[in-house]
Amino acid sequence: MRKEMLTGNASAAWGVRLAEVDYIPVYPITPQTEIIETLARWISDGVMDSRFVTMDSEHSMLTAAGSASATGARAFTATSSQGLLYGFEMLYAVAGWRVPLVMVNVSRGLSSPITLEPDHNDVLAARDTGFLQIHCETCQEVLDSILMAYRLAEDKRVLLPIIVNLDGFYLSFTREPVEVPDVERVRNFLPLYQPKHAFFKASQPMAQSAAVLGGSSYSYFKYQMHMASQNALAVYKEVCEEFETRFGRNYDTFEGYMLEDADYVLVMTNSFSTLGKAAVNNARERGINAGLLRLRLVRPFPVADLKAAITGKRAVAVIDQNISIGKGGILHSEIASCLYNEKHRPLLLSFIAGLGGKNISPDEFEFIFNKMIVGVDTGEVETTQLLYTEKEWQEMGRLKGMAGKG
Amino acid sequence: MYRLRFHGRGGQGARVASKVLGTAAFLDGYYAQDFPLYGAERRGAPVAASTRISEEPIMERGVIPEPDIVIVMDETLLQDPLTMPVSGLKQGGIVLINTAHSPAEAKAEYKITAQVLTLDITKIGLDMLGMPILSTLAGGVAARIVGLSEESLKDAVKKVLSEIITDRKLLDKNVAAALYCFNAITPAKIEIKLKTIGTTKKKSTVISLPFEHAAVSSPAINATGNTPLRMTGNWRVFRPVWNYDSCTRCMICVARCPDGCILVNEDDYPYTDYDNCKGCLICIEECPTNSLGKVREVHA
Ligand code: SF4
Ligand code: SF4
Repeated sequence: MRKEMLTGNASAAWGVRLAEVDYIPVYPITPQTEIIETLARWISDGVMDSRFVTMDSEHSMLTAAGSASATGARAFTATSSQGLLYGFEMLYAVAGWRVPLVMVNVSRGLSSPITLEPDHNDVLAARDTGFLQIHCETCQEVLDSILMAYRLAEDKRVLLPIIVNLDGFYLSFTREPVEVPDVERVRNFLPLYQPKHAFFKASQPMAQSAAVLGGSSYSYFKYQMHMASQNALAVYKEVCEEFETRFGRNYDTFEGYMLEDADYVLVMTNSFSTLGKAAVNNARERGINAGLLRLRLVRPFPVADLKAAITGKRAVAVIDQNISIGKGGILHSEIASCLYNEKHRPLLLSFIAGLGGKNISPDEFEFIFNKMIVGVDTGEVETTQLLYTEKEWQEMGRLKGMAGKG
Repeated sequence: MYRLRFHGRGGQGARVASKVLGTAAFLDGYYAQDFPLYGAERRGAPVAASTRISEEPIMERGVIPEPDIVIVMDETLLQDPLTMPVSGLKQGGIVLINTAHSPAEAKAEYKITAQVLTLDITKIGLDMLGMPILSTLAGGVAARIVGLSEESLKDAVKKVLSEIITDRKLLDKNVAAALYCFNAITPAKIEIKLKTIGTTKKKSTVISLPFEHAAVSSPAINATGNTPLRMTGNWRVFRPVWNYDSCTRCMICVARCPDGCILVNEDDYPYTDYDNCKGCLICIEECPTNSLGKVREVHA
């Protein structure tokens, strides 16, 4: 075991290396490419023993990764943003095959307009596919989550593919100290994959994913996937417990930061949660009983855990770093739906922030806490609001002028 | 916490400089975080990189809006209205500029009120590495300013560079150059303490975004291109110069310039448009009669 400065991308590559993955089909895209470059270098240097194949698109890449997984190989792939969308058809297909593929998505806002910086519309677009989703705040968490993801995906009660998500730039290119465990210790936690359910074998012709008509068999297969995903909640807890015993780091379906005694709670995901935690510290200094809930497991959605964590709070502000155009924040809707039948449900506020990597300043967090306090006092809650500052509006005016829209 | 921002151009090594500093701080036992921000990945484009060094866990991410220390690796960026390297610098902060000028000259030239240090890092790079790549050198300067140890700097240069280059000799030269830079500046008096938390408060007000119709709010650009207004010539480290005595007017340089900046005068001799020539020096490589030479640019 040693500690070193690693980017989120390098941490992902280390997770893949330590998981002793067999097969890695790839296609480059900013800000993910460093992951596959790192793996390619290790494989060519002979320090990693995997088959690395460059593909002609994300669609073929996902097909190859899912197919390899269906032969019983431990497979990995990675993408981001437009690449994820390009392979989208295969996300549903591969999940339906019930194969334990692990994929990293490095979040990046979607076109148009085109950008490089992160928000979660890419990964959340995949929320209904059948892939489980683990979202990470730190580089350490990226490495650890990949190891946990293989354990979870390969469990026979689950057998669904998993996306491990990290933010482009803010994590993918950010270096911070990461503990890299020894491979022997990882092997004890994540033994060699011995597929009892691998479908394809040499000289045994068969068909993957039958055609079904009439709805009842289709419904059967789809609902089986849903139940497998639900099973993953309990299996996830087992995996976390064992991970903590072996490596000393605790990951639950969510992370609570000063949450237990908090009255006013921020809900966030991914790397911007770090900013939220600093805002909680600031709010506490101002005498506000603030806390933060960082959602880690996004699929399956940990309904019971969330209910237990936030019922009884005064107000909860969901900060969605995504936007469902025409509705608002995706996680806000999901959290609202799991609280609806609770008697002591908190006031629920909805904010959109950090789109395309837009910063969330301390003042914007302060604005949210004020809204929560006023909301509790008056009992009134406004609709979804975008966090946008006056200065940003002025800068936008300048850009519009340059674009000939003055 | 120390918050440092490096500003350079693609290819100069701002990203690696921030890594060298981050690694050295980590080896010295601090919490460290480094983060580059760049748009299109091409040579010459402005690149910024941030390094945070702290005795406590770092609760910040992304670009540093209010740095304690700014390292300007390319002084032409000081005149770039889109980059504004010194913006947000805190009271009592330090700017180190890679320039041949003295601190007083640089202060006057660029109208900087903060404490300014100068070092001709490009010259040191050319002398010691044989090329204008400044990553480890700027890392060395920064390590000195924040008071890291020479030993950790040395190890950091080795660690970071061994991940990107295999040339042992070049690596050793980089270690030597980084240490040279480390010792070339007198550690300035830094008024910011490592313990200081938080940033100076500049209030920003949250507004509710007004609706604008699609002719305004779609991401289309109605204005005609303004590329000709953007002078890319200030990226140069060396300028090509022609010697017409030996030039045979073969036009090879004209054809080979990747930026199409070489024109032909009334007497059919080639000359370049220095406003846009980026100094790649391909013309020098290509000239069959060795009629081109190079002269180091000294800006401002
Ligand atoms: S240095 Fe490069 S850009 Fe400048 S004239 Fe020569 S070939 Fe063209
Ligand atoms: S390549 Fe050399 S000889 Fe030919 S035109 Fe250019 S400077 Fe003159």
